[in-house]
Amino acid sequence: MTGATLLFLIIGLGLVAWFFGRLKAAGMQSGGKHSRSALHSLPNYHGWYVALWAILPAAIFLAVWSFASPALITDAALTSPAAAQLPQDAFARAAILSEARAIASGNQVNAFNPLSQSMVEPYRDAIAYYQMIGAVAALLMVFACGVYAWLQIKPDLRARTKIERVTMLVLLLASLIAIVTTVGIFLSLVFETARFFSMVSPIDFLFGTEWNPKAVAGPRGETGFGAIPLFWGTVFIGAIIAMIVAIPLGLMSAIYLTQYAPAKFRSWMKPILEVLAGVPTVVYGYFAALTVAPALRDFAVSIGISNASSESALAAGAVMGIMIIPFVSSMADDSIAAVPSAMRDGSLAMGATQSETIKKVLIPAALPGVVGGVLLAVSRAIGETMIVVMAAGLAANMTANPFSSVTTVTTQIVQLLTGDQEFDSPKTLAAFALGLVLFIVTLLLNLIALRVVKKYREAYE
Amino acid sequence: MNSLTETKRRPTDWQGAEMQKRIAGRYAAERRFKAMGMAAIALSASFLAFLLVVMVGNGFLGFTQTELPVEIDFPAVTGGASPSQFQGPNAEANLQVMGLREIVDSSIEIQYGPEGTDLFSSGAWTAVSAKILADPDIVEQKSTVNLPVVSDLDVAYKDEGNPEAEAKVSELSGQFSTGFNWNFLSNSDATDPMQVGIWGAFKGSLITMIVTLMLAFPVGVLAALYLEEYAPKNRLTDLIEVSINNLAAVPSIIFGLLGLAVFLNFFGMPRSGALVGGLTLALMTMPVIVISGRNAVKSVPPSIREAALGIGASPLQVVFHHVLPLALPGILTGTIIGMARALGETAPLLMIGMRAFIATPPSGITDPATVLPVQIFLWSDEVDRGFVEKTSAAIIVLLLFLLIMNALAIYLRNRFETRW
Repeated sequence: MTGATLLFLIIGLGLVAWFFGRLKAAGMQSGGKHSRSALHSLPNYHGWYVALWAILPAAIFLAVWSFASPALITDAALTSPAAAQLPQDAFARAAILSEARAIASGNQVNAFNPLSQSMVEPYRDAIAYYQMIGAVAALLMVFACGVYAWLQIKPDLRARTKIERVTMLVLLLASLIAIVTTVGIFLSLVFETARFFSMVSPIDFLFGTEWNPKAVAGPRGETGFGAIPLFWGTVFIGAIIAMIVAIPLGLMSAIYLTQYAPAKFRSWMKPILEVLAGVPTVVYGYFAALTVAPALRDFAVSIGISNASSESALAAGAVMGIMIIPFVSSMADDSIAAVPSAMRDGSLAMGATQSETIKKVLIPAALPGVVGGVLLAVSRAIGETMIVVMAAGLAANMTANPFSSVTTVTTQIVQLLTGDQEFDSPKTLAAFALGLVLFIVTLLLNLIALRVVKKYREAYE
Repeated sequence: MNSLTETKRRPTDWQGAEMQKRIAGRYAAERRFKAMGMAAIALSASFLAFLLVVMVGNGFLGFTQTELPVEIDFPAVTGGASPSQFQGPNAEANLQVMGLREIVDSSIEIQYGPEGTDLFSSGAWTAVSAKILADPDIVEQKSTVNLPVVSDLDVAYKDEGNPEAEAKVSELSGQFSTGFNWNFLSNSDATDPMQVGIWGAFKGSLITMIVTLMLAFPVGVLAALYLEEYAPKNRLTDLIEVSINNLAAVPSIIFGLLGLAVFLNFFGMPRSGALVGGLTLALMTMPVIVISGRNAVKSVPPSIREAALGIGASPLQVVFHHVLPLALPGILTGTIIGMARALGETAPLLMIGMRAFIATPPSGITDPATVLPVQIFLWSDEVDRGFVEKTSAAIIVLLLFLLIMNALAIYLRNRFETRW
């Protein structure tokens, strides 16, 4: 019996339990709805009470069992006569056992090692044996707990209160998943990064200027993991070129839409601009690689820059800037709208023109909000992957020439992880180290941005 | 300027030439500023228009294929097969036995010479097969079938190809016709651009999205209800809120690294499967659902809760019987927007191995699969020029789905959301 069928069976039995629990409670109620023996909770809650008793203990048992049983299965398989031939070396032994386990559970068809083949039968027997034990125990639990709960049903059983307590727990668990995910991200990145730093010195990684993981040879003393060129490329594309495009366009769009545009124009134009943020990044990447990059290279060659690359930083950065426009514009929109109208009215009443009011009153007052928005946009831009993977190059250059090719952190993460390396090589681990740097930087940018925006909001409240 | 000189200053002569000039200058600056704002909007909107025009212009051709007519004398080449052979369950097997591929090739050679088969796509015979299955009666007569040409010719006919193909096109000019490329909608990935299709990637996207929705929606809604309705003000709640806000801003590629390290390497889930892809995207989508869900729950007026509590509902009944149904349209809107974002996401899926060459559509959550955006990325890397229009065509399909999802979200918002 596979895990899925067992689970469905248990859930089915739970429904049966619900039915009987509800039936019993309803029978008690029909005796006298308005008499003293009226139920504390509605029959439905009694039904759920029995169902939860039937399902939950068995489900918890199965979860524990699925973690514990592999060790038991291996022990059982090792007591078989075939296990006597296994090599003493722990590493070779583990390899054979895992292969045999894979074949026995149907994940693999043929063994590379004849010894594994001999272990398949004992394994299969052990798996079947322990699966049977697990299934029987789980079903017994369903019956035992279900009957226990069913016997407990009495008019004054506080079934609703108990159900609500369980539901509240489920709600809390659902919210805790966010923390678990955050911790999971952090731990998995830190763990792999620590392994990387045991092979490559953190100083070399953070401050080295040569990035060339392909050339890395020996298991010790690796060089070519200097990430400075990647950091520069990321900043150059995401924080400089993209922002040069996005800040003026986004800010001016927001100003025009909030201060000048008629309501009807605004209600049409705002969603249209927001479409720019909804286009998938892979589409932007393709657009940048297919249309923008060749056009920019031809332009560069025509103005006399002979070494212009077809994977220029400018193409990736400019397209990324276009993608970021709605972020900048909506943040600017919010912070301009939050400036008290008395300030604006005062300035206009003094005879300032609208543009003077905007430039000298609104923008300075809204500046913290705008800066916060720009920081969020930067954090978004440096974490953006597909545009740079498709349009920026792989050459780790340290150059400020927008027509030449630079590479970014995200490009290299994709590059390092999409090959066929084994998981322990410094190349794959380097991707996690880059990921950790990216995670920390975006986290800091977000925290600073949120703090700036919050402080500024408070100033006008 | 001190106060002494200020008091002595004569009143400003607003009508004077100098002042008029200054005012004109200020008004000109005003007009310039306004024009700059307008230009910014126009530029942003024209980027969008340009992007869409380029994609639609390129992609439109991807839905068509260039065809050449081939005359097949069915009674002669099949040795008098009857239409009844190609009906019912054995139809495809009978076509195989008959050797349709060789029949088609020989008919091509009769008409276009011994090199003729080089003109046609390697899968041209499947077009004949489909035609026979749709209408078995054609095997009783001589009939002319339009078959897809090889990719080089296709590119040369539609646009500009390599010199040899261009020469061939001008040689055969007048015989070409253009047909709708049904293969593109029903096939999966292939090495020949004339044979590729998006069905496999579409199905992969569908399965992945279902997994994502099943995980992210319940968790997101429950977390939103907890945080908005029940959470006590304490350190744990603060921590949850900070985590959710951070997760919403974490770059998507980091989720891919998490999926790789935790789901693939730690839990040993099957690589490239829709299960891992869906899990990874669910972690990404969940914060979006929580944030929009909280806003929807917050907008339900407190009077509803107080009324329900007043007539004796328990706190949980208040939420599940009254608040949740009223907030549901808003939650659904947020969910659809989150799902649309997940549908367009590529980077995390590259990390967990969903970039393999998958020629058969997945049939379960653990089968190797790919999704639409990843398929677009893979095709964009192909050297063959025939893939350019296919990539853009796949982009059109993807954008169409995003458009539909967003339109649905807007419709839901306008139709069901109550303004209190």
